[in-house]
Amino acid sequence: MSELGRHRWPVLPAFAVFGLLFVGPLAFFLVVSFWRLRAYKLVPDFTLDNYLDVWSEYLHAAIFTLLISLLIAILTTVIGFMIAYLARFRAGRYGNLILFVVLVTLFGGYLVKIYAWKTILGTGGILNSTLVDLGLINEPLAWLLYSPTAVVITLVNFLLPFTVLPIYGSLRGIDEVPLSAARDLGAGGARVFRDIVLPQCKPGLFAAFAVSFLITAGDYVTPRLVGGPNTFMAGNFIESQFINRLNAPIGSALSYAMLIGCGLVLLLFQKTLTRVLKPR
Amino acid sequence: METSPLSKTLWGLFGTVSMLFLLSPIALVVIFSFGENRLATLPMGGFTFKWYGKLIADPNFWSALENSLIVTLSVGAISTVIGTLAAMALARWRPGTANAAMMTLSLPVMMPPLVLALALATSLSSLGLRFGLHTVIPSHLVFTQPFVILIVYAQMANFNFAMLDSARDLGATPWHAFFTIVLPNIRSTLIGAALIAMSVSLDDFIITFFTIGNGMTLPTLVWGMLRTALDPSINALGTLILIATITSSVIALSITRYRG
Repeated sequence: MSELGRHRWPVLPAFAVFGLLFVGPLAFFLVVSFWRLRAYKLVPDFTLDNYLDVWSEYLHAAIFTLLISLLIAILTTVIGFMIAYLARFRAGRYGNLILFVVLVTLFGGYLVKIYAWKTILGTGGILNSTLVDLGLINEPLAWLLYSPTAVVITLVNFLLPFTVLPIYGSLRGIDEVPLSAARDLGAGGARVFRDIVLPQCKPGLFAAFAVSFLITAGDYVTPRLVGGPNTFMAGNFIESQFINRLNAPIGSALSYAMLIGCGLVLLLFQKTLTRVLKPR
Repeated sequence: METSPLSKTLWGLFGTVSMLFLLSPIALVVIFSFGENRLATLPMGGFTFKWYGKLIADPNFWSALENSLIVTLSVGAISTVIGTLAAMALARWRPGTANAAMMTLSLPVMMPPLVLALALATSLSSLGLRFGLHTVIPSHLVFTQPFVILIVYAQMANFNFAMLDSARDLGATPWHAFFTIVLPNIRSTLIGAALIAMSVSLDDFIITFFTIGNGMTLPTLVWGMLRTALDPSINALGTLILIATITSSVIALSITRYRG
């Protein structure tokens, strides 16, 4: 057997899973977005009506979703960077403890965490009762739960571990030698940070931002459970098209419209990141 | 770096607050699973196991547990075999090509789960398949195998392939060479990779929910409980899921080189 052949067949099962259960279904799902629905049955067609419907009916939901995802992605990336920076450069022997906490919270129960925030943020919840007991507020803050604020808090909490790890991965790769060289040559802390630390973090920052942005933009469980009656994100509409209206074509058109929107935001973010992080 | 007392204090404060923020929902679920009161408010009442008792008495819990075990163990085993095969071959590719292949195979992890779930559900149902655990397991493979591949690849990067090649030159079959030379060297990595794949599978709600049909796994049971009346045995169930996923991922991370 040729050298190349021998190292090619073992990857076939993995690519078969990827092709049959990712590329195939997503391609079919894209095709369905151009089909019609007649009497609850899918009818092959080539129509842009579904996309036009999405544009006229869900544009505001899509924009709201992209904006709240942008806010959450920026918050998690900044806080995630600070935690990673703390663990790498400032925390000394506590650095490993911080990483351990991050890893423990990475895999622990998506639904369970959302449920926990529901009990923390409610008017009778721990946060409000503690604030009242401390005398900081007179009556419970009703806007903490069933509001966009609750969605932001819950998702930032859930996504932080996913942002700390890739950024820490980038920071770990930074050598101490150029840092001390720059300082010996008279560069201040801010200058070292801006010209050496940040540019090297670019891949980690982008990965962190992309993961938290995409997961938020496609989420429907968090807004459903803690967002209240007025926080509808695109995911809620996509889900309800499938579950309540059994309308796969509109649901898939909305999914792909959101994916395109997300792709544009990520492209813009990468361009901005490259421009901002260019060493002067 | 230069550390003024003020910046030291501020970083310490930030570290404490951020760790509390990360841990508080998990800690709360565990603490209240032992609390007497129905409502998760302070004071929490006396110490009790009654929510665990209520959970154990629920037949839905046992059927969900059984399904979750079937799915998690199958996904862990299959994705470890497929992922290890791929990672071992990729380790002998040029790093650039191997990285591109791994980026491609990792795309399912980046895709919003709802979109992947609906694409899978639409495709599987148009193929005329009935939904059940046999549709959940393949659907999980596509987003668990990237973890196995990345973890095993990281380990194989410092594997000495000359050992393998000489065994093959001396007439060992590929299987014999794998079991006597490669496996003893990477056994703990494989266990770690399998445990990570199992944690990811055990915690999945969205993709399971859309591909399972009428059955239940532990996360879809949580979902059902969330939508009915306030039921504190949810804390008990949450604690059990947390113990399972956190234990397996901590073991996994302590025996592999993988760090996110």
